[in-house]
Amino acid sequence: MKNVLYIAISTMIILSCQKVIDVDLNEANPNVVIEANYTAEDSTVRVRITMTSSYFNSEPSPEVNDAVVTITDQLGNSQSVPFIANGYYELPFYVPVYNSNYTLSVVADGKTFSAISFMPSPVQLLDITYDSIAGFFGSEGGYVPYMRFNDPLDTINYYSAVLSKNGDVWDGLTQIFTQDDRLTDGNFIERPLFGQEWYQMGDTIGMELRSIDEINYRYIDEIQSIAGTQSGAPANPTTNWSNDALGYFSAYSNSRKTVVIQ
Amino acid sequence: MKHFILFLSILVSSISFGQNYTISGSIKDSTNGEDVFGATVRVKELSNVGAVANAYGFYSLTLEAGTYTLLFRATGYESKEINIELVNDIKLDVELNIPQEIQEIKEVKVSAVKENDNITSSGMNVTKFDPKDIETIPVLFGEKDIMKTLQLTPGVKGAGEGNAGFFVRGGGADQNLILLDEAPVYNASHLLGFFSVFNSDAIKDVSLYKSGIPAMYGGRASSVMDVKMRDGNNKHFDMSGGIGLISSRLTLEAPIVKDKSSFIISGRRSYADLFLKLSNDETVKSTSLFFYDLNAKANYRINDKNRVFLSGYFGRDKFGLGDIFGFNWGNATGTLRWNHLYNQKLFSNTSVIFSNFDYEFNIGTGDEGFGVKSSIQDWNIKHDYSYYINSKNTMRFGLNAIHHTFKPGALTGENDAFNEIVLDPRYAVEMGVYVQNEQKLGTRFNIMYGIRYSGFNLMGDGKVYNFDDNGNLLDVTDYDSWESIKYHQGLEPRLSASYILTENNSIKMGYNRNFQFIHQLSNSTTSSPTDIWVPSSNIVKPQIADQIAMGYYHNLKKNTYLLSTEIYYKDMQNQIDYRNGAETVLNDEVEGDLVFGRGIAYGVEFQLQKKKGKFTGWLSYTLSRSLRQFDDINEGEIFSARQDRIHDIALVLMYKVNEKIALSSSWVYYTGDAVTFPSGKYEINGTFVPYYTERNGYRMPDYHRLDLGFTWYMKDSKHFKQNLNVSVYNAYNRENAFTITFEEDPDDPSKTQAVQTTLFKIIPAITYNFQLK
Repeated sequence: MKNVLYIAISTMIILSCQKVIDVDLNEANPNVVIEANYTAEDSTVRVRITMTSSYFNSEPSPEVNDAVVTITDQLGNSQSVPFIANGYYELPFYVPVYNSNYTLSVVADGKTFSAISFMPSPVQLLDITYDSIAGFFGSEGGYVPYMRFNDPLDTINYYSAVLSKNGDVWDGLTQIFTQDDRLTDGNFIERPLFGQEWYQMGDTIGMELRSIDEINYRYIDEIQSIAGTQSGAPANPTTNWSNDALGYFSAYSNSRKTVVIQ
Repeated sequence: MKHFILFLSILVSSISFGQNYTISGSIKDSTNGEDVFGATVRVKELSNVGAVANAYGFYSLTLEAGTYTLLFRATGYESKEINIELVNDIKLDVELNIPQEIQEIKEVKVSAVKENDNITSSGMNVTKFDPKDIETIPVLFGEKDIMKTLQLTPGVKGAGEGNAGFFVRGGGADQNLILLDEAPVYNASHLLGFFSVFNSDAIKDVSLYKSGIPAMYGGRASSVMDVKMRDGNNKHFDMSGGIGLISSRLTLEAPIVKDKSSFIISGRRSYADLFLKLSNDETVKSTSLFFYDLNAKANYRINDKNRVFLSGYFGRDKFGLGDIFGFNWGNATGTLRWNHLYNQKLFSNTSVIFSNFDYEFNIGTGDEGFGVKSSIQDWNIKHDYSYYINSKNTMRFGLNAIHHTFKPGALTGENDAFNEIVLDPRYAVEMGVYVQNEQKLGTRFNIMYGIRYSGFNLMGDGKVYNFDDNGNLLDVTDYDSWESIKYHQGLEPRLSASYILTENNSIKMGYNRNFQFIHQLSNSTTSSPTDIWVPSSNIVKPQIADQIAMGYYHNLKKNTYLLSTEIYYKDMQNQIDYRNGAETVLNDEVEGDLVFGRGIAYGVEFQLQKKKGKFTGWLSYTLSRSLRQFDDINEGEIFSARQDRIHDIALVLMYKVNEKIALSSSWVYYTGDAVTFPSGKYEINGTFVPYYTERNGYRMPDYHRLDLGFTWYMKDSKHFKQNLNVSVYNAYNRENAFTITFEEDPDDPSKTQAVQTTLFKIIPAITYNFQLK
């Protein structure tokens, strides 16, 4: 809905202009950033730990290579997530239990951080369909794929979806789609996904439907509005990490489909 | 309360000797028969004895038997002296003339016959405009706009380009009670804030109360903007209009029964989107973007004691992009009023008022289409009395009840993927009872004191949600129709006093407490028609504002220069903000996404006005702060409200070169709005994300802009007048920041940059105005 207004404003203001400016920003004290995913599909926990840096700094983010990372299941069994390299930590062959909570804890920069995520059971994608779209605003047309699935009735579901084109995966922060069933509980969902570019004849469309928990659904929504061009009173997205760490911990399951346009 | 009434009656019962008689009647404009609101009558022989005409031009003055000279005065009119011999009650209707010289060039009427009223009037100063006073002030797209002009006065701040609304003395945009012929207007802007809904041609005058708010007004925390529509010419037919680059307007007015009854009808339509049809692109071509509005009013004087008025407003904005989406919103208001004169001293007005605001947007059509609708609707009954007790006391009292219906949202359409969703409507009754007395004590001291009781009853049917401290749902309760869910109430004392030091200077002070029971939730930096109104409830407490203000007023060089200084301090309880990531659309449990805090605002305002001569205008400067404190925001630390503009300057100059040509300019400068910028960044999924450390800890660049206007009064005849207005908005082409965003450099993702968007660079406009009578 916000977008509707931005389109309205920008259509109206044909006279508006943009330019890059210099802004004098403060230097915040460096803070720990933890990106953690536990993917049911390949039974792997992947964690990346970095630090914040000054806004106009063009160096890569500083990495944290000496953290202690542990995952604990709902029954209280803990397992260490070993360090790999360059701020990455990884634990393979960690078999998921659907509909249960996982707790990840990280000791880094002299502090302990922990986060809980719920691992939902996967929801099956149906076959991908696609439609041809005429170009507009003078651009070339192409094909748009439809995400199709049956939302389970009487459970609250949160989803994210990722597209790929000929193996090129569009899983960047602002490229992910989100979907909830607040207005569509128990329905057959058919939704066009407008990717980074149109698909053309002969292209392979890849689609992944992730079942995620509510906090991570909100996290994606919030961070997309922050990373997007407009935001109200911006604030750091609400995270499941304790102790003011940034980032997220998401345990998720998924299903995939591919189709070749012909 | 008992003590208060006792106190009141002691004050009112001023001792008098001899036989008293009453002079009463109406004060009207001699050219068109319109009531002159705020006209004064003074007794030359007695100091500090007089009366002020009420909103319907009625005045009443009680004096001892004797011979007097009455002096009738009003801004923009020649004063009139009438000698009377008072041996019985007299009915005296007075018509005031517009001075000859001004009649010829009516549009540059900036005379101040009532020269030192700012000094002698009781009550804190009210900012008051007649649309004609501001006709030459340059504005965006040449469309004169009373709301934009108010924003050039001290203490009133526009929300900025591309934003509806305004802020008064650090309060929120929803804290201004905007009344059009007594009907609340919920969204006072067209085209997302580029125009106000008030068509200057249909408006008699606008009064803005910033402090010492009279007890008859209630329901909003910060200010009252009272807009009165014209009654229509009851002497002869008159047609006027204007043709501009992006909009045109036409007004017709005439007597229905000469001197007894008249009507006015005034319409506007913008057509900015017609230019889009010139585009080659089909999508651009199919875009529609316009507003229209219509003001209409009729009045009928049944006899000397009874008069009725019917007035209405209807306006709509439409924005569409072919079949892809449509978005429209607008207000409708209607007011039916009955003036009744019980006797020479007691005047009453009874009004039935309807007010509606709604918006709707649609995406797609047919099977794939869906839409969202939302509205707020009021039915309102008011019953007010003016009681002119004697020459020292004027009492006003009355009551008021409003039935609100909030429809926060409904999802409609053929699209099977969506379940039909209709959020529970909310019903509430808001009521007020008030009494107020305006009293002259001796020759120098005037005081206005009153009290208002306000109550608000939120009622079923509907579901009521309870939440824990983190906004998680605890339980749901069902209520039946008319069953009370929550009752809020409060007493609102109102006080203002003035002390006349000399003929040329005075000091004034005011205190007011205001309750506000309905609140507008706004999620973004730009206010929009989709901001929803919510009632006070079991979760949301009423906003309470307490304000104390003092002022010093000084007139120089025989009232040529008017200097005023006011200071104020305002405390606002139960302010509302969203939690981070709140879901604002179609959310039954939106109250769980709200957080509550406190606001304070304080400042000092200076204004130097020149009201006489060829060269007129004003300079105003405001030094102020507006701060907020929320336990759940900014880790509980105090932060600046967005509208915390520390310095705010406006310079408005109007120069009448000769009878044909008038020049004008306005220049504004203010400290940039408080905003949240990142103090660092971090990487998520390979994308850099801004890292925020404090709310509103940074400032937008300072805003400044110069507008120029040129008005040419062309050759006119007795029955036809015309002028051409040329204006230039942002004359020195300042690139003011509308937004500053932080994003990755598109050419180098390892770098981040700040990008400023400017809405309006230099914009010239031309408007042709005419009047036919």
